[in-house]
Amino acid sequence: MKLTRAILLFSLVFVFISSCKKDELVSVAPGTLTLHFDNIVGDANLQLNTTNTPYTNANGEAFKVTWLTYYISNIKVKSADGKVFADPVKSDGSQGYYLIDEADSESQDVVLKNLPAGDYTEVTFTVGVDASQVDQGAQVGALDPAKGLFWSWNSGYIFFAIEGVSPVSTETDHAFQYHVGGYKEVSGSATAANNIKTITLSFDGNKAAVNAVHEPEVHLLLDVKKFFNGAGAANVSFATNAARHSPAACKDIAGNIPAAFTFDHIHAN
Amino acid sequence: MRTGFTFMKAFYLWFVISSAFCFSCSEEKVDSKVNPYTFRQPANFPQAVYTFENNPVSQKGFELGRALFYDPILSADSSIACANCHQQAVAFADPVHRFSRGVMDRSGTRNAPAIQNMAFQRVFFWDGGVKHLDFVPINAITSDLEMAEKVADVVEKLQRSPSYVNKFNEAYHEQPGSQKMLYALSQFMNLMVSANSRYDHYVRKEGELLTSAELKGSQLFTAKCSSCHATDLFTDGSFRNNGLDPSFEKDNGRERITELAEDRGKFKVPSLRNVELTSPYMHDGRFKTLQQVLDHYAAGVNNSETLDPSLKKDEVLGIPLTEEEKANIILFLKTLTDRDFIRDKRFSIPNE
Repeated sequence: MKLTRAILLFSLVFVFISSCKKDELVSVAPGTLTLHFDNIVGDANLQLNTTNTPYTNANGEAFKVTWLTYYISNIKVKSADGKVFADPVKSDGSQGYYLIDEADSESQDVVLKNLPAGDYTEVTFTVGVDASQVDQGAQVGALDPAKGLFWSWNSGYIFFAIEGVSPVSTETDHAFQYHVGGYKEVSGSATAANNIKTITLSFDGNKAAVNAVHEPEVHLLLDVKKFFNGAGAANVSFATNAARHSPAACKDIAGNIPAAFTFDHIHAN
Repeated sequence: MRTGFTFMKAFYLWFVISSAFCFSCSEEKVDSKVNPYTFRQPANFPQAVYTFENNPVSQKGFELGRALFYDPILSADSSIACANCHQQAVAFADPVHRFSRGVMDRSGTRNAPAIQNMAFQRVFFWDGGVKHLDFVPINAITSDLEMAEKVADVVEKLQRSPSYVNKFNEAYHEQPGSQKMLYALSQFMNLMVSANSRYDHYVRKEGELLTSAELKGSQLFTAKCSSCHATDLFTDGSFRNNGLDPSFEKDNGRERITELAEDRGKFKVPSLRNVELTSPYMHDGRFKTLQQVLDHYAAGVNNSETLDPSLKKDEVLGIPLTEEEKANIILFLKTLTDRDFIRDKRFSIPNE
């Protein structure tokens, strides 16, 4: 009896010691799928810091781009049989948040790991940072404040930033700046706005086959020209409105974001 | 029968053991009475709001924060530390300047506030633009008028410093990075609790008595000031226009953050703890003495669209106060001075 009890106690102790270990993942023949974000302007591939102003917006205003960066998060891919894989997200920024930066080609490849094998046909992602975590204090990873997109004067993240030069801009050095942020509506506040966009892109009947042999790469496009081109106030003119910062001021142009992203092609790899 | 009995016993045993091991999973428990590096909630304060669950205070983290607080490495030209404008002798306010001085002697635009009881605050800075303590240092670091530095560059400097690499490793088992830098500064500031003034000992019935003049001042304060300077933090954390100017072209205060006309000229109600030490007063440091402050409320309030209603009762501007009442209120305010806080060796310049 005593021995039985001792064994029982011992095994319980063992169980509870092992229960202290966290996040033990059961591996399921993991596969890999890469989302490649390619930034373009109309028909042309985007080049930063060109010497001239090679691009034109819908108003016929010439421009060049000096900075383009945006946050992608909460990625989900759906397979032909309807199964959904959600890329794990940690609210401290250490997982699941990706900062795509035109100046850093590595950042344009978002590698999803540990996917179950399958034929994937659709992707859903969020452009933006659900900054409710800002209430939780300093973060890491893509959300590290050292990345320079943390808004120091009015806490939150800029999650879609584009800067450049247009001869028609009346700002210093003919610069333009659009810093889209804002993660919640606040009643009575003129500056607050929720500009977070969730976008679903189907692979147009193509399949990204993830299995032991293939690690496909899905190419998605962001067209800067489409980001500038919307209806009404969302039709950006560098001549009349070359700088927008507060979330409310960006509400119109944030509405252009979903249509600016499109599916392009898949490399089976 | 016998089997059932054993099962019950085993279940009971399981319960006891599992509870014990649940505790063993969490951080080492240290008696808060003996450990000076534990955050303690003063009995007479509202509940602390800082997210301690993400960033509990440890001695190593605190000491790292302290080293950073006193180190000009945070500024662009290594000339300015946090402590330049936040000095312990005056409750971590700036005793010298109306507008504190940043790198290359650049002048700021507002008076540097005291740093105390930060764990209890929901919004920071005169305009409340920052909503979490962790992000407070980012403003000072990145402001062109203050430290004029990039967070990424500070991190790089820390990574190049063997002393900081060592300190981050001891505190966090990590290379220097922005999150842990901000965490450490928060730990340092979170322990800066000022709750040991004569007033505190009096309200907590710890053997302190107030003089009759101080008690008169206390009653007047409750009647005339405590609607804004509320609770034992002596602020309600709200934003109000206290009638300093008839218009606010120079500094529109809270409106800068909300872009609402109704917030024009509103500034955060400051705590009055250690107010005897934190001169000059107001967001622009325009008043040197508490007498001037009370003279303003008694006879200097300017009307404007957003003037706080409490300063315009029955269409009369300001708060009626006799000279004797002002004197008693000032005597009461001086009971909020916390000598332990300004002498606390934990917060002084690290000697190394």
